Amino acid sequence: MSAREQILGKIEPLAESKHPGAFQGASEEFDFRASLAVVGARVMTMAELETEFPGRRRYDKTLDGLSLAEIEVLEIDGEFGVAENGAIWLLEEALPHRVAPFICQHLVINVKKIVPHMHAAYEELGKVNSGFGLFLSGPSKTADIEQSLVIGAHGARSLTVVIHA
Amino acid sequence: MRVALFVPCYIDQFYPQVAVASLELLEKLGCEVVVPTDQTCCGQPMANSGFASSTEGCDANFSQNFEGFDYIVGPSGSCVLHVKEHHPSKKIRNSVYEICEFLMDVLKVSSLNAHFPHRVGLHQSCHGQRGLHLSSMSERNEKHFSKIEDLLALVGGIEVVLPVRVDECCGFGGTFCVTEEAVSVKMGQDRIKEHHANAVSYIVGVDTSCLMHMEGILRRQGSKVQVKHIVEILNHA
Amino acid sequence: MLSHAEASENFIADADRTDWHDETLWFVREKRDKVSKVLPEWEALREHASQIKDHTLANLGEYLQAFEAKAQANGITVHWAADAAEHNAIVHDIIAAQGSKILVKSKSMLTEECHLNDYLASKGIEVVDTDLGERIVQFRNEAPSHIVLPAIHLKKEDVGETFHQFLGTPKGNKDPQFLTEAARQHLRGHFLASEVAITGVNFAVAETGEFVVCTNEGNADMGAHLAKVHIACMGIEKIIPKRADLASFLRLLARSATGQLITTYTSHFHKPREGQEIHIMLIDNGRTRQLADPKYKNSLKCIRCAACFNTCPVYRRSGGHSYHQPVAGPIGSILAPNIDKKANVDLPFASTLCGSCSNVCPVKINIHEQLWFWRQDLMEAGLAPVGKTIGMKLMAFTLANPVIYRIGGSLLRRFAGLLNTRLNPWYKQREMPVAPQESFQEWYKKR
Repeated sequence: MSAREQILGKIEPLAESKHPGAFQGASEEFDFRASLAVVGARVMTMAELETEFPGRRRYDKTLDGLSLAEIEVLEIDGEFGVAENGAIWLLEEALPHRVAPFICQHLVINVKKIVPHMHAAYEELGKVNSGFGLFLSGPSKTADIEQSLVIGAHGARSLTVVIHA
Repeated sequence: MRVALFVPCYIDQFYPQVAVASLELLEKLGCEVVVPTDQTCCGQPMANSGFASSTEGCDANFSQNFEGFDYIVGPSGSCVLHVKEHHPSKKIRNSVYEICEFLMDVLKVSSLNAHFPHRVGLHQSCHGQRGLHLSSMSERNEKHFSKIEDLLALVGGIEVVLPVRVDECCGFGGTFCVTEEAVSVKMGQDRIKEHHANAVSYIVGVDTSCLMHMEGILRRQGSKVQVKHIVEILNHA
Repeated sequence: MLSHAEASENFIADADRTDWHDETLWFVREKRDKVSKVLPEWEALREHASQIKDHTLANLGEYLQAFEAKAQANGITVHWAADAAEHNAIVHDIIAAQGSKILVKSKSMLTEECHLNDYLASKGIEVVDTDLGERIVQFRNEAPSHIVLPAIHLKKEDVGETFHQFLGTPKGNKDPQFLTEAARQHLRGHFLASEVAITGVNFAVAETGEFVVCTNEGNADMGAHLAKVHIACMGIEKIIPKRADLASFLRLLARSATGQLITTYTSHFHKPREGQEIHIMLIDNGRTRQLADPKYKNSLKCIRCAACFNTCPVYRRSGGHSYHQPVAGPIGSILAPNIDKKANVDLPFASTLCGSCSNVCPVKINIHEQLWFWRQDLMEAGLAPVGKTIGMKLMAFTLANPVIYRIGGSLLRRFAGLLNTRLNPWYKQREMPVAPQESFQEWYKKR
């Protein structure tokens, strides 16, 4: 017997327990900017961005995964931001490569829309059939050495968000 | 009101003053207190050690002593919790009360003729708190309440001080206190350290077992801090 | 192998380090308290997540098949493995087909459970763990001591020394920023070179066939997106029904784990990228047995946040290695006996049953109650030392008979002084209670 049949054969159906449906009663009072500050991201205006990162590269389809490693600063467009946790939904279609937001040294994301919380975020996502997507919240970080927070573990060392909403 | 006093075995043998205070306090509050004289142990030490299968004798003896009472009241959160969760008789499970719970929820005590002019550190015993819900719990997002603090607030002259880790376990844990001696003692020492830092004269709790464990450490350390079961304070004129 | 009690005694012998370990993890617990208490819906969210898991476990077979069908339609290869050995063999086959001798792996407690690294090493394949904490303990040939903070048992001096030895960092440099940068440079080379990447799975969605991986460092993504072959390993309990269910779990996970609002990266893998293979491993390894036992089925709700570790007063003072299992702490103590009763007979007893674990659990697993049930099952299975069984039976007999109890009690009080000996574990660091002249019952009779 295959492992599949073995496993499925061993799973006895249990007494039915209903799916509770969508979560009701989520708070709406969240501040996207405040959450970005908590997760270690900076918010800038376009003008400030020009001064800070004049040589940045906008998403360009000709870049492949490995040459991306050479990019200091990458600018991409996020789909929307989540106020409760500062996360920004990124879709594969808006990325030069799936690894792009991780492998660059510094990341800039444009955000045009903000939803209050994760429940609203998944409503917004709906049944998108993209191959890959992620919520990204702040720069790469670790606290694996004595719980001291260090920014820039493996992914981008900084995240700058430009809010166009 | 007719009440059967449940005196856990180790209180009977080593801390009779806790049972005496419980008896006197309940009588002062107008209860007719019956003390079944053949009571022994609720069976918790065996059950928590994995030998619940050996507690039939204790359960039967408990039933014989307490059958027919609507209020079975004991000064020990963990023993009461054990009976409430594991005794085979539903009537008994529903009739057993930890004494603070009984004072607050059944007698609805709103004043006491008690006086205890000392600085007292409160130890939350886990089974009373998390098991019997005598007070809100630090882990949960719930409104603060405490039947224990409410009772102590009725005592004249008392100053109650809470440790920073307001409801961390003291490490007694039944047979855990000897089978995991090192962790058990370390946990107790850490609790005591906080109470020492708060310069209390007494540590008060609702479970004599936790107090016995901390008292053992306090005395070994040569500390002047003493332990008191809450009924000893509530009964202190 | 040392028992939990013996290993803890060794751990506590270093009092300063024990205090540091306790305080550091307590701080994580406090961060969790803070972020959970600003969400008025926190307790409702826990209940909601718990109900989703109840529903999923009640229909696990259907959801696994739905997930499989969707994932396959998305171009992902799905493998099933009944146990650790089968899992390891399949993973090896996939790597061998690729011809790789070295690969990168991000955190996966499942592969720890299956001892995959050792197995692959025996086949001549080197696994490079890429989570910083896991890389540190891998260099030191140790196991992770915490499922979220793998190197929490170590001080920065230890890490500095380890990196000096393995990465050539200057001796004596113990600056976390500097050491993290050294690891970044070292691991970036591996990310760029590896053709195979292994990751864990936090959630797999039956509705869409996608799976979600959460990290703060970005190591899972760095590995997966650069490799030609991505192998994602998950226990069958990681399934959830719908994509929208992720909202509740993601809100709970990071807040419970580290007090963060969400992990930095929450990646949704739906289809392989062009030219890439994705393989998903679905493992049982005892989970169906756990599911079939109503007492323990709830343990399968676990989302591996480790909040129960951080709150556990025993874990904080005994360290993860004292649990001698890949998953330590309270949750580990109710999972491990399902795999091997005899080897883990000590773990359900490594608790005071204080109940704090159940209170912090984001999916409301009744952990402390399951510890109690395991104690019964293990003792009924005859795994108690002979002395304990005799002692317990004698105690039960004495306490069931009022006359014998009274005689025993009075003897105990009269000769209590004899217990003041180092042979009595109580007396080692505590005084015995002072035995009174009269018991309460003796006093009461005279009243």
